[in-house]
This record gives sequence, structure tokens and C-alpha cells, in this order.
Amino acid sequence: MSVPTPRAEAGWVRFVFLPVLLLTAGLLGGLRVEPGGDLLFLAPPLVTLVMAVLLLSVCVRARLIRLDRWLGGHLPALARTSHFLTLLALFFATAQAFNSALPERGLLHWMFALFFLWTLWHDQFAPFDALRLLRSVAVLFGTAFVLKHLLLAAVRQPEGGWGRRLLGLVLEGVSLGSIDLPAYAPATGYVSFFTLALFVGGLALLRADPEPRVALALPVPREGEAARPLLDDPRGA
Amino acid sequence: MRTLVPALGIAVTLGYGAAIAWLYATQPRTLAEIHTGAQVATGTYAVDEPRFQSGLELFRREQFGPARAEWARADPARRDARVQFYVAYAFYREGWGRLHHDDGLYRQGLEAVDRVQALGAPALRVDDPQLGLRTPAELRAELEDGVRKTWSDFNPLRVLEVRK
Repeated sequence: MSVPTPRAEAGWVRFVFLPVLLLTAGLLGGLRVEPGGDLLFLAPPLVTLVMAVLLLSVCVRARLIRLDRWLGGHLPALARTSHFLTLLALFFATAQAFNSALPERGLLHWMFALFFLWTLWHDQFAPFDALRLLRSVAVLFGTAFVLKHLLLAAVRQPEGGWGRRLLGLVLEGVSLGSIDLPAYAPATGYVSFFTLALFVGGLALLRADPEPRVALALPVPREGEAARPLLDDPRGA
Repeated sequence: MRTLVPALGIAVTLGYGAAIAWLYATQPRTLAEIHTGAQVATGTYAVDEPRFQSGLELFRREQFGPARAEWARADPARRDARVQFYVAYAFYREGWGRLHHDDGLYRQGLEAVDRVQALGAPALRVDDPQLGLRTPAELRAELEDGVRKTWSDFNPLRVLEVRK
């Protein structure tokens, strides 16, 4: 029985598992379940494409992805094509993750959109490394998820749940009657949760350099010590 | 291995991406619609023949509404010209009256004939001895004649017309 090497496993993850994961996030990001159980597939609105461009630009700046290593001429054509498709899937998944976290229409849609755009614009000029960026993305989407699928969904309940009472305290004097929220089944929240988890998981699986060149570590001689040969002399000299 | 995995990745990504694009383009509402749509897309779609026959029996007993419901289950994607022809015929027979035709039912019949012709089956011929109209063109002419208002509608001899 042959045991797959770590390099082979990494190939399967990068070429097959990662694009499938990102495309699944993209598929679920636009899925809504109506109260009657009917499915609704919402294509990403234009504003989410802008947000996806901004977030991917931050990813490149933070060196979460190095485009020269993903699409460079040093790679075979098949690998480059596969990487290009993976990056397209990443773009689609990003747009759909925003689609999943944004309220579908009305004033809240634009309030959330402005919140995302402001945060992403600010991030363009912030010093980021890959780990900090991942944390930041997880927090950004986590916050939007809680606001949309827990707080606002509770506001929408006809009998007035805890969310409506909480918002009533926070926004005393502001009418919630003008907030236009479409009614979806609770399953939509679960779908959104998995979408965002898959998306953040997909980002965590990305490697800045998909095929790192192996660096040879040479022993550095201490002060006063003669440099040792790399290989022992077979003659014992 | 160095070429197999990337090639497989490309194939899987393109196939899955195309399936997602198809879902967003066709907007199926239920899992059953997704299943039917996938069958149509892959060319494995087939009419449920026992259900079609069951609808045909209801049609012959003049139970047109239940017959159409049975055919809707037999051909959920409305992709079979023969079934859609019978659906149109059920609208015609239900809408036909000696003194008055039901324009609403006739119009739905015309929509069903449109579907038959959109399926690229204008030359369809149904050899059913119990039908007076055997082709979509004949059925369309009869339905269009029924919804058109003319002076001949007031001809008392019209009561002698027979349902086809």
C-alpha cells in the first residue's frame, strides 16, 4: 500500500479541495430559504463585487496570496490554469460571502454596505500580515452575521422578540417600521453560517506561495571555528 | 501525478462552476426541481409513463383537471411534446361548450400548444382514435378560432357543432 506524501496531499488540497470549498461557499452565499421551504438563489449585487475586489487587494497586500507565485511563469501551464481558476473561485466566494452577510434590500442593506466599504477602505492603508488579516476577516464577517441573522432576525419576529426589545432600548425614539427586511426561514441563518465558515476556512487554507522553493540551511561557523565541509570526505581526510 | 492532480482540479472546478452558474440562471425553487433540471441538462430526463397513462384514463373519463395534474407530475419539466399536446387538448375539451367557449381555458390551451411548438415538435402527430385533432397545428387553429370573436358566434346553427 502506498502512503501519500505530504507534497502529494498538499497538491490534492490546493488543486481539488480548495476550489471545491470556495465554490461551495459561493454557491451557498446566495442561497435563501423562504418560509414555505422554497429556495431562492440571489446573484451577488454589484456592491459585493466591489467589496470582493477591495478584500482581495488587502489579501495581496498582506501577502496572504502572492500573485507572482500563484501565476508565475515558473509553474507548468496546468498548475497555472488551476491556480487561476482557484483565484476566480476565491473572488466568487468573497463576493458571495458579502452577499450572505448583507441584508437583501432597504436601508439596512446600504448601512451594512457602507460599514463594509469603510472598513475595507481603511484596511487598504493598515499594516497587515496574513494571520492578522485572517483574524480581521473572521471578526468582520462574524459581526455582520450576528447583526443580520441574530439581532435583525429577532427584530423581524412578529411577536417582538428579545432583539426588538434590545433595539428598542438602543434606538429609543427611532421607528423600526421603515426597516424593510425580507422574511426568510431560520434555515437561511444556518446556510449563512456555513458559508462564512467555509469562506474563512478557504482563506486559511491559502498559501502565499503554493510551491515554495526548498531553502538549503548551511551551518554557520562560530567565531574562531573553521568552516566545516558540507559533506564528509569519504577518504577520511 | 504532477499533471493528473492539476488536470483533475481544472475539470472539477469547471464542472462544479458550470453547475453553480446553471443553478443561478435557472433558479429552481425546490430540490425536486433541481433534480428534474439536472436530468434535463444531462439528457437523462424521461416522462413517468405510468403517471401519463393514469392521466390519460382520467382524460377519457372527462376528468380534465385531475388529468392535467397527473400529467404535471409525469412531465414536471414540461419537456415532452406528447404530454403537453394532451394538456392542451384537456384545456380545449374542458373549455368547449355548445353555446359558449371558456376563453380562459382556451388561452391556457394555446400556451400549452406554444410549449409543444417551442419543443421543436411542430410535426408531432398523435395517433389516438379518440382525438379529432391529431396535430398541434390543428389544435392551435381550433383554440384560436374559439377565442376569436366573430359574427359567426351568434349563428344559431352553432349548437350543432361537435366537440373534436
